Amino acid sequence: MIETPHDLSAYHVQIQQALNNPFLRTALGNFASAYKISRQKAFEGMDLQRKRAELASAKDEALKHLPELFERFRQQAQAKGTHVHLAHTAADACRIVSDIARENAVRHIIKSKSMTAEEIHLNDRLEADGFLVTETDLGEWIIQLRHEGPSHMVMPAIHLSRQQVGTLFRQVTGQPLDLEDIGRMVKVARSELREAFLTAGMGISGANVAVAETGTIGMLTNEGNGRLTTTLPGVHVAVVGIEKLVPDIDTALRIVEILPKNATGQLITSYVTWITGQTTCSTNPDGKKIHHVVFLDNGRLRLAQDPVFSQALRCIRCGACANVCPVYSKVGGHTLGHVYIGAIGLILTYFYHGTDNTRAIVRNCLNCQACKSVCPVNIDLPYLIKQVYRRVLDDDREKPIKNRLVSTFMKNRTLFHSALRAAAAAQKPLVDASKGVIRHLPYALLKPEHHFRAIPALADTPFRNMWPSLRYRLKNPTHRVVLFVGCAVDFVSPEQALALVKLAIAFNVQIDFPQRQTCCGLPAAMMAEEETAVDVGIQNLEALDAERYDYVLTLCASCASHLKEGYPRMLRGKVAPVRLEELHRKIIDFSSFMVDVLAIDSDVFEKDGKRTAYHAPCHLCRGLGVTEAPRKLIDLSGNTYVPCPEEDVCCGFGGSYSIEFPEISAAILNQKLDHVQQAGVDVLVTDCPGCVMQLRGGMLKRDEPVPVRHIAEIVAERLKLSQKPS
Amino acid sequence: MCSEDRIALMMERAKLVQAEVSRISGLDAAFDYVIERMRERDYKTLAAPNVDPADAFRLEDRCRKAGIEWVASPLRNRMRNIQAALTMADGAIAETGSMIQISDDEDVRIATMLSELHIVCVRASEIHQDSFAVAHMLRDRMAAGPGYISFITGASRTADIERVLAIGVHGPLELHILILEEARS
Repeated sequence: MIETPHDLSAYHVQIQQALNNPFLRTALGNFASAYKISRQKAFEGMDLQRKRAELASAKDEALKHLPELFERFRQQAQAKGTHVHLAHTAADACRIVSDIARENAVRHIIKSKSMTAEEIHLNDRLEADGFLVTETDLGEWIIQLRHEGPSHMVMPAIHLSRQQVGTLFRQVTGQPLDLEDIGRMVKVARSELREAFLTAGMGISGANVAVAETGTIGMLTNEGNGRLTTTLPGVHVAVVGIEKLVPDIDTALRIVEILPKNATGQLITSYVTWITGQTTCSTNPDGKKIHHVVFLDNGRLRLAQDPVFSQALRCIRCGACANVCPVYSKVGGHTLGHVYIGAIGLILTYFYHGTDNTRAIVRNCLNCQACKSVCPVNIDLPYLIKQVYRRVLDDDREKPIKNRLVSTFMKNRTLFHSALRAAAAAQKPLVDASKGVIRHLPYALLKPEHHFRAIPALADTPFRNMWPSLRYRLKNPTHRVVLFVGCAVDFVSPEQALALVKLAIAFNVQIDFPQRQTCCGLPAAMMAEEETAVDVGIQNLEALDAERYDYVLTLCASCASHLKEGYPRMLRGKVAPVRLEELHRKIIDFSSFMVDVLAIDSDVFEKDGKRTAYHAPCHLCRGLGVTEAPRKLIDLSGNTYVPCPEEDVCCGFGGSYSIEFPEISAAILNQKLDHVQQAGVDVLVTDCPGCVMQLRGGMLKRDEPVPVRHIAEIVAERLKLSQKPS
Repeated sequence: MCSEDRIALMMERAKLVQAEVSRISGLDAAFDYVIERMRERDYKTLAAPNVDPADAFRLEDRCRKAGIEWVASPLRNRMRNIQAALTMADGAIAETGSMIQISDDEDVRIATMLSELHIVCVRASEIHQDSFAVAHMLRDRMAAGPGYISFITGASRTADIERVLAIGVHGPLELHILILEEARS
């Protein structure tokens, strides 16, 4: 039985258990790296972006017309002898299936894998009604024997070791079995389940797609159990989410083309099965299969009409959002979902399994955008997760303290900035000035699980207070830019902005810094405080006045990505569209500005710099799609870029995430830092002050820490002062 | 892509999923291939449900000589004892190395799923570039009436235990593809 914690404290207990499971972490870690390689290989030579966009819009079109598609499917399939049902609730669906079994005097039911059947807990109902149910997909059979839910949508038993499976099979068969021999275990399943196939009276399957124009269901399977389940017993019932309906075979083939490649890196599954109507079945007196298709609504028809959430129904259940999720790779699916797991699970759980099961897990998202970057139907998963979080807060009508604090302080810039200055003064006795970190904090303030990183100290003087004495005026600048500095640079690491100012003057770039700019609002958006995020967004839009400049320059990838992608979505209809468009067009990150706009020459930098590792911030490489500029910039500036594994995996910061889930944040961070230390580099750079805080804080807790810098700092350092660039 | 390139792609992709692929002159050579592979594995029972009866008798004859039992339809009576199956595909998809099999007749499904060795013949002239090239054929078939169509790619497989690939789960342990040079008569 699946039990998902209903509150954070129970959730932390579960998380800690998952983190203490070394097998799980190794297995999921290996999978995460292997998956990326095989996926890339599977899509080689394909215009994937185009295919994704086409599939997303085809699914959207279908979702708009689900009732009509259902009607078409029903007519077509019924004309070919299939009974078609529409179940409005999970209970209805279970009852329909159970009634079919009873009417046909079935005792033993075999099942091939169906997430939709898992969603409605069909096995529980059938077993309660006295039927014997056998799962035939190997992974599903294993978890059925263990009375567990799936921990992955495609690989349900990925959380188990061969020894665990072998021990289980020994108990089931009563036979000795070599606990290392996976091939042997597969043979055991083959022979144990073969008898079930040959004797069961009814087969239940899912479907990956339902083709309305012909009344056909399509299934993708690897083991062959799907074909056996739908062929051997006299009765076949397919349980299908109604969002699986597509108008035609062409759309269905597009899904078949993409799904296996994105799921496991296979070009296609071993079997793709298309079933139309009543096929031959000699076990029945009339020689025809008794065939039922049960479409499940369970909230989908309403969801399909929702302006924000309907895109969640595009999901084709490939599981890729879990495969690339850094949180998933640390804690596994049982801790990151209910029935549906991974990013899409955090969303669907709310709609299919309610607020209680969603409350804790929905917070467990770093907003790193990795899921969004691999979703084959372009679902904006991180955004929808925040929207679900907001719904949960509204349902519960009680906001966490941090939410109330954020909305009070952030909306009022003067209050917010004075509070930060006051905090800078108050922390003084606690600061280790040599490292720029807090030396110690009373235990009452910070629990031991937060000790994985050093906490950065606030700067004595924020950048905004330095600016009046730094302000400069160039006669004929090549570019005029407005700097959006962001809170982290402003109040924690103003030295990063100083490096930028030094470079700007050297390269004849005029910087303006409007004092009325404030927090970009991403932290508020992350806490689902949308009103606050909108408020500060409007303040910034007015302060920056992008129309007057060539670029809006940033040092923080998170701010930049939020200004570029978050603002248009949040502020649409609230400000003049042209202002949003100008901002959207002019936002640029530091590295792209240096490499693409200024096209800087390596001659102006001292040679023989440092061996430099690079961490790609989520909001730069995925948020803004900038991947080459920073790596080029490292080499151009006289340093040497040294590649490390998994550079584009999140550092585990995620703003308030690392405070809410320090144990997961630490696990993600430590893996990253291991990679960097193993690479034997002199320095680690990145282009986001948040990542700098996290990475540096973690390094300072280690032996022989590698220094962590913002990329602007290492570039500015190597500038030949004698030779001014032309 | 010319037909030779398509055949080459088909062979390459099918081998990627551990299928054995051979080019073969005609049906009689295919029959010899079947008998030889069965002899190597010491298999004693063969089903060939969708081989044209006009040809099947020659295979049956070879079986008799080789001491192999010919499993006749309906196969449901013999489900526990089909060691090898020979079937005809209705086309192939080069890009994924897949066989297209119209298996409305349940005997075709029983033979291709319950045998340990599945040998499938496809005509070289019926290898298509990708699945979209057969969309109209699929649509026509599905619209016409009840039916069961499969794309079969390699032997059945799983990676459900520790993501270790194991070939031969519920379906055949081996898939052999024979590309027939002769056109459909």
